[in-house]
Amino acid sequence: MLQYGQKSFLIVDDFTDFRTSTRSMLRELGVRDVDTADSGEQALRMCGQKRYDFVLQDFHLGDGKKNGQQVLEDLLLDKLISHECVFIMVTAESSQAIVLSAIEHEPDAYLTKPFNRVGLAQRLEKLVQRKTLLKPILQALDRGQPAQVLVACAELCKQDPRFAPLCLRYRADALRDLNRFDELEKFLKGILASRPQPWVYAALGNLMLKRGQHAQAQGVFEQALKAFPIMPSLYDGMAEALIAQGESKRAQHMLEEAVRLSPLAVRRQAALGKLALENADFDSASKAFRHAVSQGQSSRYKSAESNLGLAQALMNKNVGNGLDARTRVEINTVLSEVAKEHVEDQGLQVRARLMKAASLQQAGDAETAAKLTEQAMQRLEKMDQFFSVEAALTVAKQLQQLGQDAAGSSILKGCVETYGDDPKVMQSVAKLTDDPTVLGAVTEAVDLNRQGVRSYQGGQLSEALGMFRKALALQPKNISIALNTAQALLRIGGEVTPPALLQECRNCLTSVGGIPKSDSRYERYRKLHLRVFGA
Amino acid sequence: MSQDNQGLDFSTVIASTVHDLKNSLSVLIQTHNQWLARLPAELQGGTEQGIMEHEFSHLNGMLVQLLGLYKLGVNQLPVCPDYHELDDFIEAQLAAQQEVLLHRDILATWRIDTASPLGFFDRELVASVVGNVLTNATRYAGHALLISIEEEGEQLVISVNDDGTGYPQRMLERQHDYVQGIDAQSGSTGLGLYFAARIAALHERNGVRGRIEIANGGALGGGLFRLYLP
Repeated sequence: MLQYGQKSFLIVDDFTDFRTSTRSMLRELGVRDVDTADSGEQALRMCGQKRYDFVLQDFHLGDGKKNGQQVLEDLLLDKLISHECVFIMVTAESSQAIVLSAIEHEPDAYLTKPFNRVGLAQRLEKLVQRKTLLKPILQALDRGQPAQVLVACAELCKQDPRFAPLCLRYRADALRDLNRFDELEKFLKGILASRPQPWVYAALGNLMLKRGQHAQAQGVFEQALKAFPIMPSLYDGMAEALIAQGESKRAQHMLEEAVRLSPLAVRRQAALGKLALENADFDSASKAFRHAVSQGQSSRYKSAESNLGLAQALMNKNVGNGLDARTRVEINTVLSEVAKEHVEDQGLQVRARLMKAASLQQAGDAETAAKLTEQAMQRLEKMDQFFSVEAALTVAKQLQQLGQDAAGSSILKGCVETYGDDPKVMQSVAKLTDDPTVLGAVTEAVDLNRQGVRSYQGGQLSEALGMFRKALALQPKNISIALNTAQALLRIGGEVTPPALLQECRNCLTSVGGIPKSDSRYERYRKLHLRVFGA
Repeated sequence: MSQDNQGLDFSTVIASTVHDLKNSLSVLIQTHNQWLARLPAELQGGTEQGIMEHEFSHLNGMLVQLLGLYKLGVNQLPVCPDYHELDDFIEAQLAAQQEVLLHRDILATWRIDTASPLGFFDRELVASVVGNVLTNATRYAGHALLISIEEEGEQLVISVNDDGTGYPQRMLERQHDYVQGIDAQSGSTGLGLYFAARIAALHERNGVRGRIEIANGGALGGGLFRLYLP
């Protein structure tokens, strides 16, 4: 039998009886260091203070509390446990836990209640053996070195090829992290040809999505759902592929299916709410956002967007009918929460106030609505962050409805300046205004930017830079143009960028410093920022 | 939506009730074990003890099966196959039955005769089948049980063999009916076979589906249950 005298254990269960009896089983196995927690929140705090070798986590920890899956995600994403830690999910019934689990974060093993001492000892011993076998891989994972993971996998496969299947997942993740996409595609297709598993389909589908091959991604997810129709995460991927192709109705249907199988998923509910809102299905939208808000209370994926979405959906649902008392209370509650929890976020403060004002106007209280609008506009003037496209459009529309056409136009102008190179954005803006000073502002800059990109791709860097500079002078807050200019400057500057170019580069980035974190170009912005400003 | 108007969603009812039942049963079993440990040695063991242990695992197996059958019926039973170490899998199934085996004085052995130490299947689902078969076999076994895993062509075969009197002739003849769920009066064994066959069939590779088979004989001469996984 293994020696557990030096190992630390954490038992997480809301039942006192279970904690006691599991603890006494562990003691009989020679374990000396056992801590217990009765909630996920407590477990996270304890893992923050102490490195555990083993975590026995009960899946169900009561309604409104984090469940075992959420605890596992938090532990891994916040790096509170090492990959070498043995994490066992204890369940009364595992099929539910499997459906509720996220494909990307799986426990090392499930242990089904009831279990006895012999059964527990057997599982622990086997899992320790497995972790010992995989140790070099797990250590490389802890250090965040995907290249080393591949080396360790290759070594293990050479040493004992019979255990090669245990490395598949680690190899795929490492190839993805190293951006070796062609290899990854071939690798995943090879696995699918012999032994398909849900995670393989998900990895391949996501790879296609990342490359913008939306139709192929859809094909992969279709095939996946035929083989594994009860895996909610595969519906998520399918929905994403459909959204990218503009099929928002079918995408909504997919997410509804996923939510039916696994209703406990904050991000899925929020995504469903957003889709339903777009599809003008306000009943489904308010239902989904309501779930997202209430489940968000115990989740790392809590988001103010769900609160704002819920308020919006409730208002749209009742358009032309005022708002009843219950709805007003609900809107009030979710919006106050946003204002209270995001004191520093000017954008959210403005949006919550305007949403509130719009709801008051709908409820017939024009006077208070005007007062709130006034407050929101004062904050708006001082704001230096950019709204996301969706937020900008909503705010502009609300300002128009609240009788503030000038302020609405200025929001739209800002939106066009920042995002106007995207034709989809221009279409949406055109729905809200026909003012030529708003709509026509970008054409020239966008043309110059397009020519610049062409020259850049053709290797004519200084010509490209010239175009980008001209474009940027016209639209200094356009994210694409600013990032393109910065990139061209750095490329021309070479290894040691001359101070003047570096300064110009810094100015470019500073002018688009308001870029929202949710923007798809944020990562590119962050990397450039890191290069020219240092860490 | 129509589901909202029905008041109770039976899927939630059955899942949460089974969940509570299993929790309750778990507390019962663990408390029972703690209480047993305090009894003087001469009062431990014995026939009653064996019966209790057996019924505990029987109850647990039935609850798992009940929920499994229900989920199969509404197409909500997830299948998530993965690679599992075969020795680990068998050891875990035997460990779960350890008290019953001890009190019934049954010697359980296992043998693995495969090229790879790994098998590809849904661990939870196959475990629920093997668990039920083991509970059944301990009831009819004399003093020996054998679990073996071998390969037949491309398929993995998990067998459970005992040294009891074997399955009744009538059951062997009608096994296809049980598997298809045709014979409703066959009682718990028939239902168990039906469940096992459905779980087996959820495992599919290149158009070949898993299946089960019962027979008498084998190395120990009694009942022989076989689960084929492609």
